[in-house]
Amino acid sequence: MNERTPLALKNLTHRPRRLLVAVGGVGFAVLLIFMELGFLAALLDSTTAVIRRIRADLFILNRSTSALVARARFPRQRIEQARAGGDVRVIPIHIENAVAVLRPARDKGYPIRVLAFDPRQPLFDLPGVESAASELLGPDTAAYDTTSKAEYRFPGPTEPPGDFTGELSGRRIRLVGRFALSTDFATTGTLIMSDQNFARYFPWGAGGEDPLSVVDIGAVQVGPGASVPEVRARLERLLPNDVKVLDKAEYERNERAFWLLNTPIGYIFVAGTIIGFVVGVIICYQIIYASLDDHMGEFATLKAIGYGRSYFVGLVACQSLYLSLFGFVPGALASMFLYAGIAKATGLMVVFRPWVAAVVLGSTLLMCTVSGILAMRRLLAADPASLF
Amino acid sequence: MMSSTEVIRATTSRRFVGGTSGDDRGVVVRARGVQHYYGEGDLRKQVLFDNNADVYEGEIVIMTGPSGSGKTTLLTLFGALRTVQEGSLTLLGRELRGVTARDATRARREIGFIFQAHNLFQSLTAFQNVRMGLELFGHSRAEMKRLGETMLARLGLGHRIHYKPEALSGGQKQRVAIARALAHRPKLVLADEPTAALDGASGREVVTLFQELAKEQRTTVIMVTHDNRILDVADRIISMVDGRIKSNVMPQESSVICEFLRRGSAFAQLTPGALSDVADKMIVESFPAGAAVIQKGDAGDKFYLIREGEVDVLVGGIDDPGTNVALGTGDYFGEAALLTGAPRNATVRARSPVVLYSLGKDDFQAAIEASKPFKEELLRMLFMRQ
Repeated sequence: MNERTPLALKNLTHRPRRLLVAVGGVGFAVLLIFMELGFLAALLDSTTAVIRRIRADLFILNRSTSALVARARFPRQRIEQARAGGDVRVIPIHIENAVAVLRPARDKGYPIRVLAFDPRQPLFDLPGVESAASELLGPDTAAYDTTSKAEYRFPGPTEPPGDFTGELSGRRIRLVGRFALSTDFATTGTLIMSDQNFARYFPWGAGGEDPLSVVDIGAVQVGPGASVPEVRARLERLLPNDVKVLDKAEYERNERAFWLLNTPIGYIFVAGTIIGFVVGVIICYQIIYASLDDHMGEFATLKAIGYGRSYFVGLVACQSLYLSLFGFVPGALASMFLYAGIAKATGLMVVFRPWVAAVVLGSTLLMCTVSGILAMRRLLAADPASLF
Repeated sequence: MMSSTEVIRATTSRRFVGGTSGDDRGVVVRARGVQHYYGEGDLRKQVLFDNNADVYEGEIVIMTGPSGSGKTTLLTLFGALRTVQEGSLTLLGRELRGVTARDATRARREIGFIFQAHNLFQSLTAFQNVRMGLELFGHSRAEMKRLGETMLARLGLGHRIHYKPEALSGGQKQRVAIARALAHRPKLVLADEPTAALDGASGREVVTLFQELAKEQRTTVIMVTHDNRILDVADRIISMVDGRIKSNVMPQESSVICEFLRRGSAFAQLTPGALSDVADKMIVESFPAGAAVIQKGDAGDKFYLIREGEVDVLVGGIDDPGTNVALGTGDYFGEAALLTGAPRNATVRARSPVVLYSLGKDDFQAAIEASKPFKEELLRMLFMRQ
């Protein structure tokens, strides 16, 4: 068969205003899915941002730890025990996210997350923290996350960090550096400080004992001569079973799985995505059905003159494909703008991700195909005998 | 006259089936005992009753009849748009009874369909709409362009080929639809009121085109129309009433029959009006040499007049060749059983290929009741023959 009249495209573009409405409808469904999946991806990436920024090959965690937000600490002895494991550096990280309250000058206090480590050893892959390492050794100092919510009134990018005045848990704090990490669904802001300062701000940490006697995360840096799996096996043998050893990928996966599966949040976004999909199917169905219904006489004529079932299936498939693509482009563009706005407002890692775009494109194609299949029945019911 | 009688053979009798078996050269559509029902179960309603018709290549046939007479149903059956339920229907030599949907679709590609509504895609230009009708045939792009443009030009739309339907008048749109139906040079064109949307001059152009196609390409056109302005193009008019083909005549043939009847002694008594009435109701039948036209002992159902050829009247039946009477052109037979109500008293067999005019029993009775001299003449002749 020689090249054919592009009927699907012609019918779709014949009435520009109708096409605009159709593209708007599909684009809206695309936007919905982009938002839901974007939030979900942001949630998962934001909650694991800290893990990615820790320079470590292995992590020692309390065996029952489910996620960063759920505090489960382990005794500092485990760190010492792990250090016997050969060519490794084991760095304890302390986290306070339950009782830490930052109170900017002339304002009420807001909960904040505090991470603490020994600044003399490079640990965080955050340039602002590395460059402020020596200042962080001073008393009552910290570096702040620039993506933190505005309510903390942290200095802007052009103002010196020292401009900030305020108290952390009732004690004055001096900011000496800044870094860009991320907020997440449980964290609206982050401070990083030295373990010595941590002990000053949160002395009640372990029921009156030395707050540094318990550890949240043990970051294990494997030396250049050692192999990570071997070190891991050695640590697992060496350490009692109140702690577990994970590599970075596992730790990130666990964290993601917690949010996705153990909290309603992941479920809500998946449900939202499905709803977006269903709304999209309904919108697409309406559009395709209406466009087929308008041309029933013409399609019945085509049937009469010998066009077969496969032609009509192809026609509807084409129309669905065009509709998906026409709707996807503006939907994706609008999503980029909305993402940028939301990222700015919340500090979440809401960015345009290729994998999300791929999933949304796939969903859009599926959405229009499902609609096409539903609307197809109308077309196959066209009876050429009714034309006479 | 042989050529004009050759193209018309239709009857409402099953006996005819045997009469022409094997002779289907030039037959485009052949219907045998076609019955059709709508609805299911208790609601099942018969809409076509035992229809038989042959339509030949190059013929223009007009189907008429009141609405609900079944003409449209029969047309959709001819066009393979409906499933044949009972009887046999061949389209271009292919039996349509029991074909798959795929084969029906394929069969329809050989037909050009013209509907009352133009059904053009508003999104396509006139040429693109016509091209939709050509794309099923594997023509090259250039060939499609040539065929489409030629047909549009022929329909007076050469200057409008790149216009979309909304920029065309109603008549122009209908002509685009006609171009779409005809561009692939179908063997058969089925049309439903093709001229209804056209003014007199455009309507005339369209039917003139039909005539040219019929003449040049031996295209057959079957159309349903109530447009009296174009009845004259018909080679044959099939008139349907209550699901049956009531008459199947050639307008020209009808006048020939009239003239023939006037020359015959028995019918000379009829008034001109009654004569043409009889002529309209007569059906032309042909039989090959050796075929039995009527069988001794059967109930009488028709009256026959010999147009051409010779028959043998075998009074003793087919097994008794001794008592032959030969009849030729202008002679008639079959009246005795109709007048007396008795079974056929002889077998009549074609000696040579014969063409007969037949008149159904009811029409025959009506004709003789209408004319006393005619009845008397027939009775006198019958008496003399016995």
